[in-house]
Amino acid sequence: MDMRENERPMLILKDIHKFYGKNEVIKGVSLEVRKGELVTFVGPSGCGKTTLLRLIGGFTDVSSGDIILDGQRINDLPPNLRDTRICFQNYALFPHMTVAENVGYGLKINKWPKHRIEARVKELLEMVELQAFADRMIDRLSGGQQQRVAFARALSLEPKVLLLDEPLSNLDANLRLVMREEIRNLQERLQITTVFVTHDQFEAMAISDRLVVMKDGLIEQVGSPIEIYERPANEFIAGFVGYVNFMEGRVASIDENTRNTVINTEYGKIEITLSQGDINSADEVLMVIRPESVNISLDCGGKGQNVLSGALKSYMYAGSLAKCTVKIGDRTMIIDQYNPRDAQQFKHAEKVEVHIPRSVHLLKRKR
Amino acid sequence: MKRKPIAFVVAAIFSLVLAGSTPAEDINAYMGTSPDNNAKIAKFIKDKTGITVNQTFQSFGEIEARAKAEAPNFNADMIIGCGSPLAFMAKKSGWSHPYVSPAWKGVAEVFMDPQGDWYNIANFSFVLVGSKDRLAKAGYSMPTSWKDLLDPKWKGEILMPSPLSSGTANMMRFSFLALYGDDEGWKFLEALDKNIAYYTRSGNAPTDLVGRGEFMLGITSDENVKKRIDDGYPLIWSIPNEGTGYDGTYALIFKGTKKLAACKKIIDVLGTPEFSTLMAEIGYVTPRPAPNALYGKTLPKYIKLDLAKAADDKPKNNDIWKQKLRTDFK
Amino acid sequence: MAPAELSVKLQASSGSKIRDFLNANLINILAAFLFLLLAFFLLYPIIAVLIKSLRGPSGFTLEYYRSFFSKNYYFQSLFNTLLLGVINTVVCLVIGFCLAYMTTRGPWILRKPLKIIALIPLIAPPYLFALSLIILFGRNGIVTRMFDLHWQLYGFNGVVISQTLAFIPLAYMMIENTLMSLNPNLEESAYDMGASEATILRTITIPLLAPGLLKAALLIFVMTIAEFGNAAILGGRTPFLAPDTYTMITGESDFNMGSVLSVILIAPCIIIFFIHNYLLEGKKFTTIGGKPVASEPRKITPLIQAPFIIITTVAAGAIFICFAVVFVASFYKILGVTHNVVLSNYLDFTSNQAIYNSIRVSFVAAVIGAFIGVLLAYVIVRGKFFGRTFIEMVSLSGFALPGTVVGIGYLLAFSAPPLKLTGGIMILALNCVFRFLAVGVEAGISKLHQINIEIEEASADLGASFLTTFYRIVLPIMFPAFIAGFIYTFMTAIVSLSAVVFLVSPGFALASVKIFDAAVYGEVGIASATTMKLVLIVTICMLILNFIRNKTRLGGSMKKSAAV
Ligand SMILES: Nc1ncnc2c1ncn2[C@@H]1O[C@H](COP(=O)(O)OP(=O)(O)O)[C@@H](O)[C@H]1O
Ligand SMILES: [Mg+2]
Repeated sequence: MDMRENERPMLILKDIHKFYGKNEVIKGVSLEVRKGELVTFVGPSGCGKTTLLRLIGGFTDVSSGDIILDGQRINDLPPNLRDTRICFQNYALFPHMTVAENVGYGLKINKWPKHRIEARVKELLEMVELQAFADRMIDRLSGGQQQRVAFARALSLEPKVLLLDEPLSNLDANLRLVMREEIRNLQERLQITTVFVTHDQFEAMAISDRLVVMKDGLIEQVGSPIEIYERPANEFIAGFVGYVNFMEGRVASIDENTRNTVINTEYGKIEITLSQGDINSADEVLMVIRPESVNISLDCGGKGQNVLSGALKSYMYAGSLAKCTVKIGDRTMIIDQYNPRDAQQFKHAEKVEVHIPRSVHLLKRKR
Repeated sequence: MKRKPIAFVVAAIFSLVLAGSTPAEDINAYMGTSPDNNAKIAKFIKDKTGITVNQTFQSFGEIEARAKAEAPNFNADMIIGCGSPLAFMAKKSGWSHPYVSPAWKGVAEVFMDPQGDWYNIANFSFVLVGSKDRLAKAGYSMPTSWKDLLDPKWKGEILMPSPLSSGTANMMRFSFLALYGDDEGWKFLEALDKNIAYYTRSGNAPTDLVGRGEFMLGITSDENVKKRIDDGYPLIWSIPNEGTGYDGTYALIFKGTKKLAACKKIIDVLGTPEFSTLMAEIGYVTPRPAPNALYGKTLPKYIKLDLAKAADDKPKNNDIWKQKLRTDFK
Repeated sequence: MAPAELSVKLQASSGSKIRDFLNANLINILAAFLFLLLAFFLLYPIIAVLIKSLRGPSGFTLEYYRSFFSKNYYFQSLFNTLLLGVINTVVCLVIGFCLAYMTTRGPWILRKPLKIIALIPLIAPPYLFALSLIILFGRNGIVTRMFDLHWQLYGFNGVVISQTLAFIPLAYMMIENTLMSLNPNLEESAYDMGASEATILRTITIPLLAPGLLKAALLIFVMTIAEFGNAAILGGRTPFLAPDTYTMITGESDFNMGSVLSVILIAPCIIIFFIHNYLLEGKKFTTIGGKPVASEPRKITPLIQAPFIIITTVAAGAIFICFAVVFVASFYKILGVTHNVVLSNYLDFTSNQAIYNSIRVSFVAAVIGAFIGVLLAYVIVRGKFFGRTFIEMVSLSGFALPGTVVGIGYLLAFSAPPLKLTGGIMILALNCVFRFLAVGVEAGISKLHQINIEIEEASADLGASFLTTFYRIVLPIMFPAFIAGFIYTFMTAIVSLSAVVFLVSPGFALASVKIFDAAVYGEVGIASATTMKLVLIVTICMLILNFIRNKTRLGGSMKKSAAV
């Protein structure tokens, strides 16, 4: 990690704006992508991810701002002169060519000698494990195989930055898991700087070095998957990267030394260890309580610290975990109980206790 | 919900198809004069008899082809305006319904069949037209004899309709053959061919193209000449010394029509002096003498013709025409 | 309403056995019925022409063919026709491609205007250009006089020019359609990989467009050699088969020889149709036929852009000027001869009636054609009976048949009882239905390939009868195909002349025939005004239809995603 941090950025976006007619689709995006890093643009559909990727690839011009690739400003270069390579969501494989011809297309265009093309194509096909399919036509391949061909084709000329637009969205769930691992492994092995686009937050967290969460043409937060998940910058992000139970409260006190913090809620006091610096005493806050961070137990009557009691509304056993819906006061909380050994008892329980962890993240509530 | 549009569409189709069905007093006719004149004649009939004549413009040739293809089950009740070949053939083949109209009593014999199989509502001829501007620019004057047209100076500057597609041109051909005799006539046509720019499809086309100045001279139907001059075309017209030919514009009733009474009524009004006046104003020479728009009171000099023979000879002459005048027709 | 009611009645009045039988066999019954229609209205007329060309007064004879093949004149005519067809097709394809490329890939500001200019003449009769050309470039035309030029408009060149201008819109429309459904990411991928604009064209765009180009080529070739308007007006002494056939039938009433010429005219079309089918075998790329997408303009290098811009400007300019001439001419009694502006051309009542008739015929033809097209597509895709491919081929062959020939065929086949149809609207409409069927059928087939048969099976599972399933599930899904067939038939029918000219009857003038007559008769003003009126009215119709289509496209895709 540290070593990478020292390296200069491979791709810099400087205050990028993009208008389609009067419609501002990208509203000022700045970002640095380090060499060898896999950065993911993630956000709801229509937030401008594809547009941003197309801007980097050169398929459409920025309205203002600069794109700098490896120290060189590339705003005015057409795609064929930019050292970026894109994989479109639909793969855009040439249907009138074989697998090998597809993979070798860029090499041929760049006038590689024939024997070198052959060798390179062979190497690439081996890399994506498609040696046996070299002479197949594209429409005789499965979705996963097509995805690999597209990937191999994009890598053929060793671009400085690889752009992947929702590469897995056309695959079925299992294959998606396999492919994302493959892509990640290859990317790490080749140390190729990659911008990955997806609307799937779990995919984004699993695959990336860093996430760029976008909404309505703006970056909401940039950070590692852990940062984004554990310390979301706002409600939107907290909710976007996973299910979340929110609970309003007011900071009663913060101990300067231990960072022990007491929060008053309508269900009583909650004590946590504050790990963020942006919260002060008397702030109105929102507690970000992840379903899996909460412990649930059968109600024993005695109330401990951070324990709320509630009524178990539903209990859905699914082997490795059980999803519990608990009614606390007039709010419902979703709780994931991992390793649910005592499921039998919970099935018929009515009263439960909920243990709020001390590691809860706080969001400042706007007034 | 979803069914409504289809029901609507079905209803729409039916209404559109049925909209084609016609009101009570009307007949279908093949009419071969120009679109304009067809409309005038139809209006005259409507005004005088209340009968609506449904018609589309068709050339004499088209009507002839149509009638031959349809015989003996015709799509029309009658013809108002076809050439002599069809009129004579219809009589011969028994396609026409004979009716001796009292209204036609006293007309000259070229205008009415003795048995009443056909009526000739108006004679038309052909004339020579020239482009005023083009002639003046070239310093040429209008030819006074048909033979003058053979002068090489006219090469590529004369238009005439093709007898293969135009009844008017057929008339020109049989007139020249009658004027010069068969042998000399064909020689004349062959020599003329050297100067002809091309043969137009319709008998009136030379009037328009010469009027536009596209070509200097045209041998053309007299039907439209007056109208075009009135329209403002810089045209001059003349009939060379030898005179011109003529052909009739025939009306007849198809055998088998379900509207015989209406057809007879129409034949009757076509024999009135009023109708002759209308046709004469257009420029035709009519069964009841009336001042002619183009020629005035003195009728042009006519070449002596046998229209029945001309009708019989048409197929033969077409063959000879192709042999002699299509240089590549071997 | 009818089919649903019918199915209810069937269920109510007959035992379940009969119902089951019907349900199981309805598609076959439908197929047989459709095949009869095709045989009757498409094959039979063509066969009638063939028979006529082989039967003299005393039975079977090859005399007429011998006569054809022994005359230089006919060879000349055939040669001219084929040459015209080839030149025209190539030029139209090149120009159509450039135009389509500019309107789908070029700068935004050029797209709309170019598209409008390229499409408007589609609704005008093709021979209109002959009129404009005479007014401008005739021996005494405005331009000719202005620059004292000495060229020869009447002849092969004039016909090629007018015919090319006339068919650019069709070429453009077809190529634009395929370009629109070509996934723009494909070209962008090549671009991304370092390919230049020219390389993309050569290695990606054109190869992928090949099937569409081939189809456009076939259609243009056939229409060019069958359309006789321009050749009749500008041909001069140069013979062409289509006008010769027309003269042979209408002038000389020689049906035997006319039929021979027709058969000769058909031969190259059929040959090309089969070549086309053969070449397309197994060449249907999955990427084509997707939903239309607008591509963003590319940074085209000037060197590549220059020829595109030159070609499109010249073509669009020529079309625009010719059209402007017609527009201006519509306000003069005779443009270039008389000098006062008049409105009388627009007030001409008979032309109004003709336009109304044309719209009626085209509308009826379009509804019936689209409906039969959808049914045929259904039978072809879902049917499991022997001879499916044959039905498909016959239904698609309609557009490969020259209009002149089909017109003559209808005249021969349907002018005498027991099959007497001539006179009135139906023969005109039916003629158009079967000639222009192909587009609806093809659209239907591709639509059906997109939807899953499981949806229908699910409906059948739920106990719906065949008819109900068809009515509730299949028809709504195929509505876009219906509209596509409708629009194509409507537009083509309204300007088509080559076939209907043989079939119009007294009291039922059509606008295209009326305009042709006016043009031939030198009534330039009336011809122009009628054209302008036709263009205006048809444009309005098209706007309405497009509105409907856009709505159904939305509706269709919603239904589709809901179903999946
Ligand atoms: N070529 C274009 N013209 C106009 N608007 C566009 C174009 N491409 C994208 N947009 C608009 O820009 C916004 C962002 O689109 P996109 O980048 O595709 O979103 P995402 O990939 O995040 O789903 C959308 O509102 C879309 O409608
Ligand atoms: Mg996207």
